[in-house]
Amino acid sequence: MISFFKTITLLLTFSLTSFTNNAFAHHAFAAEFDRDKPISFTGTVTEMKWANPHAWIYVDVENSNGEVINWALETRAANNLIRLGWRPADLPVGTILQIQGWQARNNTPTASLSAAMLPDGRSLFSNSPN
Amino acid sequence: MSPYLFIFLVLVTGTVSGQNLPRDADGKPDLQGIWRPVNRASFDLEDHVARHDMPAGISVIDGETIPYQPWAAEQKIQNFENRASMDPLNNCYLPGVPRIMAMESPFQIFQTTNHIAITFEWQQVYRLIYTNGSPPLYAGIESWMGNSRGHWEGDVLVVEVIDQNDKTWLDAAGNFHSNEIHVVERYRLIDKDTIEYEATIEDQNVFTRPWTIQLELQRQKHMNGILEYQCQAEKEEENGAFERDENTWYPALIPPNNEPFDPNAGQSIPLPTVTEEVSRLSDGTPNIGGYYMADAGGANYGLEEHEREILLPPSRGQVIDPIDGILPYQTWARSERIDRQLPHRGYDDPTAHCFVAGVPRSHYVPAPFFILQPPGYIVVLHERMSWRRIALNGEHSLPDTIRLWQGDSIGYWEEDTLIVESKNFNGKSWLNEVGDVVSHMQTVVETFTPVDENQIIYRATVSDPIPYTRPWTIEMPFNQEDEELLEVACLEDNADLQHLKDVQDEYRQNQNTE
Repeated sequence: MISFFKTITLLLTFSLTSFTNNAFAHHAFAAEFDRDKPISFTGTVTEMKWANPHAWIYVDVENSNGEVINWALETRAANNLIRLGWRPADLPVGTILQIQGWQARNNTPTASLSAAMLPDGRSLFSNSPN
Repeated sequence: MSPYLFIFLVLVTGTVSGQNLPRDADGKPDLQGIWRPVNRASFDLEDHVARHDMPAGISVIDGETIPYQPWAAEQKIQNFENRASMDPLNNCYLPGVPRIMAMESPFQIFQTTNHIAITFEWQQVYRLIYTNGSPPLYAGIESWMGNSRGHWEGDVLVVEVIDQNDKTWLDAAGNFHSNEIHVVERYRLIDKDTIEYEATIEDQNVFTRPWTIQLELQRQKHMNGILEYQCQAEKEEENGAFERDENTWYPALIPPNNEPFDPNAGQSIPLPTVTEEVSRLSDGTPNIGGYYMADAGGANYGLEEHEREILLPPSRGQVIDPIDGILPYQTWARSERIDRQLPHRGYDDPTAHCFVAGVPRSHYVPAPFFILQPPGYIVVLHERMSWRRIALNGEHSLPDTIRLWQGDSIGYWEEDTLIVESKNFNGKSWLNEVGDVVSHMQTVVETFTPVDENQIIYRATVSDPIPYTRPWTIEMPFNQEDEELLEVACLEDNADLQHLKDVQDEYRQNQNTE
């Protein structure tokens, strides 16, 4: 599955603990996502749903066949992001993200986001937007 | 009734009885109690004839009809025709304000100087109305129930509701609004058992002018407390999406091969030491009201200590009795606990379905909670939507057959520790995501000891003869913060559940083909 993607340049280059997504879970992450299916790619944000108990970021990712796949990336609770100071305007459509995570066991283009980096090197959803 | 007559009656009766109204310690009319609207407004705010799913009713609107803009009047007709599928309540979503106030079920109001809480049976939603004059900390963040700020104008409680989203309806007939809705409610106690309730609705996107509804709320004198209506859980149990666990759900029996349960095993652990003087209420009890977040140390990922794994946060272990930190499982229940951590069982965790977390888990799911201390009660409002009502110095009032997610709780102060005893659980809860087991036979004794101005040391002792051989106790601090609750409308986008279902379905399919 991993070789399917063009942009596998980041192999867990940023710390797993930098983004403790699953510390805000309402369900067992290890049940939904597969630790044997790490993903790492660059994507373009198409939408973010500021929902609870998990917000979702949707990104377009081009695979090795030139097809664009829209991935759903599960992240923290919207309430958690709001308390950290993040607001919907901080992640506009079109933002390029370097992404790491684990794919869902059911092999849909769905993943638990473990880390995401903005083009300027800032970590998405680190403690504050600035 | 003509609106003029209505207003006349309100004014006259309000004036006449105002001297004898029950009042709180601040001299404000005391709204605390259990109330229920007397009307057909939950079906349709406007005049309506009877239909199969809808008893007839007279308009509760001042002016009889809703002043829709032309396009919105068309939309309302569409909504009405498609109400079976479109009514948000048919998907168990949160009702919004004022619809929640007009629904058939009773609700309970708790009143303090700085906050008024209203707890509802529907999905165990609540409203926390700030009456302390503070501006909303998160203005502009939309939610299903909005943000309520109140103040007293003489003997009338006036509540402004802002930041509601556009997903709720105003009744079951498809009357609707946009996210520009602004609601001003007026609660006027006209005698000790009656509240005249008004809500003025303004929404420039949908209506041509502000308009007002009037409801009469009657005190439910025969009730000790309201119950629970977990709409989504009931729906999923009925359609088979949430399956019965014969080992734990009421009225499961103690398995015949269980080791005997020793209720007296365990340590006598001294209560935590109070390190500095805490603030107190006028009756001398510690003031523990406010916003808290548990320093839970990963209790939601296992009550026994374990290291971090990929996709599983660590737990520092919260069990203080037994001293080895290991839960005293019956053999079969330990096996069940191990099985529940397998991927195909993730779907079975009730919180993955957005159901209530139960006790003690509600306190250590990764979400904050708010404690209120109205006269006679401790009320806990959990951001991950549910509430607990703890009656002080009372007796358990429920028959054995009534079983609740949050149980039936009574409490009392022993020196500076609040002790809470709970029973009548339904046995549907898991204690965390890895599936620590609890059954309907659990009784829980919790202690809340405020050790300084900003911290409570919390303990919960669980006695449950179905999965365990003896009682056990966990401990964790609750830290008070200067914060406000937000809303977790968990059902609004619970995309995880289908993924978890796929994993379970695939597992079961493989089992069947083997």
